[in-house]
Amino acid sequence: MSAPEIFFVGDDGLAVRVAERAARHGLAGALRASGKWIDVVPGKGEVTVQFDPLAIAPAAAEALLRKQAENIPEAEESAAGALTLHMQTDDAAAPDLARLAAENGLTREAFLARIEASPLTVDMMGFTAGFAYVAGVDPALVAPRLDTPRQKVPAGSVGMISGQLGFYALAGPAGWPIIGRIAEPLFDPRREAPFTLEAGLRLHLSIGR
Amino acid sequence: MVLTVLKPSPLATLQGSARAGLRHQGIPASGPADPLSMALANRLCLNAPAATAIEITFGGASFEFRQDTAFAFAGAVTFATLSGVPVLAHETLEARRGDVLTFPHPAAGARTYLAIPGGFRADTLFGSTSTFLPAEFGGYSGRALRAGDELERAGAASKPPPLATPAPLRPHIARAHSLRAVPGPDFAALAPAVWNETFQTTRRMDRTGIELAGNWPKPENGALRPSAALFTGAVQLTPSGNAFVLLPDAQTTGGYPHVLQVIRADRHLLGQIAPGDRLSFLNRSVDGAYQDLRAKTGYLDSWLPGFRF
Repeated sequence: MSAPEIFFVGDDGLAVRVAERAARHGLAGALRASGKWIDVVPGKGEVTVQFDPLAIAPAAAEALLRKQAENIPEAEESAAGALTLHMQTDDAAAPDLARLAAENGLTREAFLARIEASPLTVDMMGFTAGFAYVAGVDPALVAPRLDTPRQKVPAGSVGMISGQLGFYALAGPAGWPIIGRIAEPLFDPRREAPFTLEAGLRLHLSIGR
Repeated sequence: MVLTVLKPSPLATLQGSARAGLRHQGIPASGPADPLSMALANRLCLNAPAATAIEITFGGASFEFRQDTAFAFAGAVTFATLSGVPVLAHETLEARRGDVLTFPHPAAGARTYLAIPGGFRADTLFGSTSTFLPAEFGGYSGRALRAGDELERAGAASKPPPLATPAPLRPHIARAHSLRAVPGPDFAALAPAVWNETFQTTRRMDRTGIELAGNWPKPENGALRPSAALFTGAVQLTPSGNAFVLLPDAQTTGGYPHVLQVIRADRHLLGQIAPGDRLSFLNRSVDGAYQDLRAKTGYLDSWLPGFRF
């Protein structure tokens, strides 16, 4: 395998390009476990690390990351069972569901059946606290971004754009059409484990109709 | 109890250290927008650089002291009044029980830090006391300070001698800012002629970011990239045609073109940018930025040992 591409993101960040999702999660876990980086953040096509140049100079950081990225460990994505979450789809919880179903030439019921049957995996977390990008939605379903983002959607809202879902753990602005709301809290700072989701986790949606 | 909030306007929060290691869960650095000014205020109270202090945005805030205590402030506001008597930034000051401290609107800059010996008591989560408003945790019950809030001292404090920030170390805060930056990952693709431009901040600013209007290149169709990590100091082009520079409470990933990255040594300056200010960027290489960071940290080291950008 050829050496992965590594590039600077600012003066205190470095990114490794890794196309495959499982490999990104495996590498991110290994980099985090090494304790050498302030933050390790997987994106959609790379893993980015942040460092303090006074603790490790930029050239040394680049060399270290190059060495660490030589052996990308296998991610254990499929090892854990899927987590079941319950999604409400009444009109208040799912303001864009009926329109999206119609635009895809499906009944509401048939549209939801396709979502429920999709093999969902948390692709990455980020954006805001506890927000999850979820991959695996039936690729035949089309959903463009909203022209004008909503100023505020409730915590637990499930957004959808073609090919993926976005779980909004916090109430806040949202640019994706909303097709439901997760009943379980996705982020609770008072819990010992504040985050319900993590990258690599498989999900099953149980949909209330 | 050491202090009662009389007026927090328009935004006052408790801030401590930056958070680390949680960006992959969507938790950004949070912490003070201008950590250098906070460290300078804390230094005058013999505190660690990131001891919990009050971050005051703009002016109009006032507080009543409920016990005799030393205090200090630093940042945008250069003088305040203590029960009607002018008091200066960058000096260790003494308040009597019942004194009222009032901050005027600053002539330039955005944020002022009020520190007391021992720091303020605050909720700790994810290794820091900093208030993170988007997820409502840290600081004072996860929220901005309100009139009537009563603040406690966090720990035992020794009485500081009368100190003053050495004059050469007092940041000069103006309404025009030069920020050193390195090209971001999407710079080459868009080749913005940013180095010779002056940009102006709009009214859209908060602890997540500041909007910059000016002659930015127009990415085609908004040109969304696959989402990638972002850090404080990232400059992103948005579909509006303006750019956003990210502050400590910003989103941790995003898909807008990331064209510039303000260097680590200059990110504290972002906390003092106000609406209508002018901004320009100075081109740095990664190695040049490393030398800048070493030089600036070294310059501060005798007064602020242990302070890290």
